[in-house]
Parts: sequence; C-alpha cells; structure tokens
Amino acid sequence: MLKRLYRWLDLRIGVGEIVEKELTGYLLPRNINEWYSLGSVLLIIFALQVVTGMLLMIYYVPDADKAFKSVTFIMNEVPFGWLIRLCHAVGSNMMVAVLILHMLSTLLMGSYKAPRELNWVTGFTLLALVQGVSLTGYLAPWSQLSFWATTVATNSASAVPVVGPYLVEFLRGGKLVGPPTLGRFFALHAAVLPVVIAAFIGAHLFLLKRTGISAPPFGREGTANPFEAQQYHYQGHPGGIPFFPNYVLQDLTSISIYFAVFLAVVFFWPGMPFTPDAFVPADPFKTPAHIKPEWYFLANYQTLKIFPSELLGLSVQAAAMTFLALLPFIDRSPERHPLKRPIFLTLVIAGILLWIALSVWGHLS
Amino acid sequence: MENEGRRRFLGVCVAGATAAAAVAAGYPVFRYLAPRAGQEGAAKLVIPAGELKEGDAKFFEFAGSSAVLIKTKSGELVALSAVCTHLGCIVQWVKEKQQFQCPCHGGQFSTDGTVLGGPPPRPLAKIPLTVTEGNITIG
Repeated sequence: MLKRLYRWLDLRIGVGEIVEKELTGYLLPRNINEWYSLGSVLLIIFALQVVTGMLLMIYYVPDADKAFKSVTFIMNEVPFGWLIRLCHAVGSNMMVAVLILHMLSTLLMGSYKAPRELNWVTGFTLLALVQGVSLTGYLAPWSQLSFWATTVATNSASAVPVVGPYLVEFLRGGKLVGPPTLGRFFALHAAVLPVVIAAFIGAHLFLLKRTGISAPPFGREGTANPFEAQQYHYQGHPGGIPFFPNYVLQDLTSISIYFAVFLAVVFFWPGMPFTPDAFVPADPFKTPAHIKPEWYFLANYQTLKIFPSELLGLSVQAAAMTFLALLPFIDRSPERHPLKRPIFLTLVIAGILLWIALSVWGHLS
Repeated sequence: MENEGRRRFLGVCVAGATAAAAVAAGYPVFRYLAPRAGQEGAAKLVIPAGELKEGDAKFFEFAGSSAVLIKTKSGELVALSAVCTHLGCIVQWVKEKQQFQCPCHGGQFSTDGTVLGGPPPRPLAKIPLTVTEGNITIG
C-alpha cells in the first residue's frame, strides 16, 4: 500500500528524486557524532511548544482579570489540562537548555568558523528569541511570580542611558506592569515571536543546506578548517554515511532520550517550573520576598546586582553577548580541534563555570 | 530468510510502539478538546407561574440548549425547544400572531410546535412540564 502510494507520488511529483537528493543521497561525514542531532531535537521541541501553545489558547483568557482563573481552570478542571500546560512550561525550559547544549557543541567543535558564520549568528539570534518568547510567556498566568518577575525583568531596561525610563514604559505599556503589559506580552508570545523564530529556523536550515554540514574536528584526518574564501563551495562528504536511514536513526535516538527526560520531569517533577508564588494571583500592591527570574536569566540578574551601577552591569552583559554573537568574525584561526586550542578551551570552560557560579549565586542570594 | 523474519518482526514492533505512542499522545488531546460532561445545564428548571402572562413567551437555557415556555391566550402552558428544525437558528415569538417565526429562513411554528410554513422538516421538540403550587417545573 505504502509502496503504491510512493510510486503514485513519484510518477507525479518526482518524490524519488527528492528522497535521493535530501535523504538517502544526502551524505554526512563518517565521523559525525550524537551532538549533531540536537538541532532535530530542538525542531521537535519547538513544534511541541507550538502545538501545546495552540491547545492552551483554547481555554486561556489573556485578560488581567481572568488570566489566573483561566490557568487554574486549565490545571484543575479541563481533562488533561495539567498535562498540556506542564508540557508547555517544562518544554520552554527544555528548549533553552537544549539550545545552550547545541550552541556549546558548535562552540567546542569549532563549527561556527568560516563558511558557517551566518549559521552561528542565526543560531545566536534564535537563542535570544527563545529567551524572549519564554520571558513574554512567563507573564501569561498572571500569578505573583509572573507579575513580579516581569516587573524585575522589564525594570532592568531602565539602566539604558537617556531612553531607559521611556523604554521600560514602552515595554510595559504603562508606568507599571499591568493589563496593557499582558496584552502586548501575549501578542508577542503567541503571534509575533513564534513567527520570527520559525523564520529564523528556516534561515538557519537554508544556510545549513547551502554550506553543507561541518565535519567534527575529531579522528585521523586533519582538523584544521579547509575553507578558503575564494568562491562559493558546497562542503559535501563523498563516501560519507547517508542521512536516511543512518543518521535519522541517531536523530530518533536523541529525540527518544529527550522525551524520556522531558516526560520524567513532567510526571515526576511537575513543580520544576513553578515556585509557591506561581499559585497566587498577581497582586500589584504586594511584592513577594525573594522574587527570582527563571534559571537561564539568573546569571544576568546576579551580574546586574554585583556591579555598583546598573548601567555598568548592563554594559558588561551587552559586551559579552556581542562578543559571543560575533565570535566567528573574531576567532578566525583555522584550527577546530578543542584540544589543539588550549587558550580557547580554557576561556570556554572558564565562561561556563562563571555562568554556573553566577546562576547559583543569583539563586542563593 | 531469517533476516527477513527479524526485519518484519522489528517492523511490527516499531509500528506497534508508534501506534501506542500516538494513542498515548492523542487520547489526552482528544479529552482536552472534547466537550466536557456536566456542562449541559440543569435537566430540570423551576419557573414561578406568575412570571408569565397569557400570550407571552419566556426563553431560557435548558439542558445545554435554548428552550421557550409559552402561555397561550387560552391559558395553556407549553414548553418547546427554541431551536428551529431547519438549520438550528433560534425561533422568535411573534406575540401579535401567536406563533413562532424563524429569522433565518422564515419557518413558522404554531404554539404547540407544529410547522405552519417554510422549510422546517419537523415540528419543534416538546419538553414535558408540570405545574405545582404556582411553580412550573420544566423537564
């Protein structure tokens, strides 16, 4: 039956040619490793976020008077509403975590180097957009946690010289976080940012198809970058392993491992995305003690606190982010093997440790 | 041959696991989307008889749908579904003519629900009612 359907489609639209070009004939480096499958895992996570988000919109009411009640209704009354919401809340955390892992593997394997500078830049932009979509979604439940975390997060923009206070007011739609903030954050979260993210994913994949996939810098062959910027050249891998079925199997394995971890959190650690303040409706006149942002913003939060001036804290972060975003244009050495780049490796490890330390400090302070 | 058998067996296992996963994911989504039980409203409704004058009609929600109670000029009480049997619009009470008219396609019904004209294929469904101690119990 399936074979007949395949033949029917092949006769009409040449499916066989596409399969040959994009699947069985799409050859990947023989020494490709598991880390390359994180992109596929991220695609699945994004798709799941879109689907669960659409399902939540059926019952969620983006109105300051009704938002908290509608979320409570989803959690307690709607059949499997708790599951859909937990998948969405845990999924958003997972998306940031997997995205960081994906970028770390790209960093350590030197895959950001020429000719893949734009892949890195689009990927880095995607990290910022995913953090943005998480931040805007955080306000949606209109709980004490979401209200005050958004107050703290939007307030940090006030450190920008001259336009800072206006920027905060513009973000919030008023002097304080209130119903207008929910309206604009919901529009950004549910309509604007997902479309922009999808567009950037499309650009990221397009760039991947045009440059060809990078080979890991491990194994017997030379580990230096062979690219020479003289004319456009697709980096193929003759004699490599086919994407289908070989690497699809690896993708499916990684996706299965992801689902095992994701569902374990959903079913056995459902409180992970929430603190007790997440179960209290927003009260603009009562700030809870120890309000903290999400774990992936803790390092930024702590950085702002340790500098004597907010502007300095913000500038240091902006400088660090700009440096990371433009890394492929700064680090131009052809060598990609991490062990043959001791200074780079030391800096990466020190950077990761600093980020973890700041996050833990931010959590405990 | 042995390989063929193994391949088929693995294929069946993978297909079975995929189907099980699809059901496990699909069932919660179906339940999430399905209309919830117990949302149809009360199956019995009490209306004080004094609320309705002769020749008047009172529309209300009953068992998750729209219904109407009329008191004819002869004093008879009738409860009917207010959903037109043609395409499901809500019929309107025309007091002057003492009949129902559907605003969508002009279907007409008498006070006992009988089709008087227009496209409706069936009369309006009757709803049982009882009158005790000045209260009308519908359903």
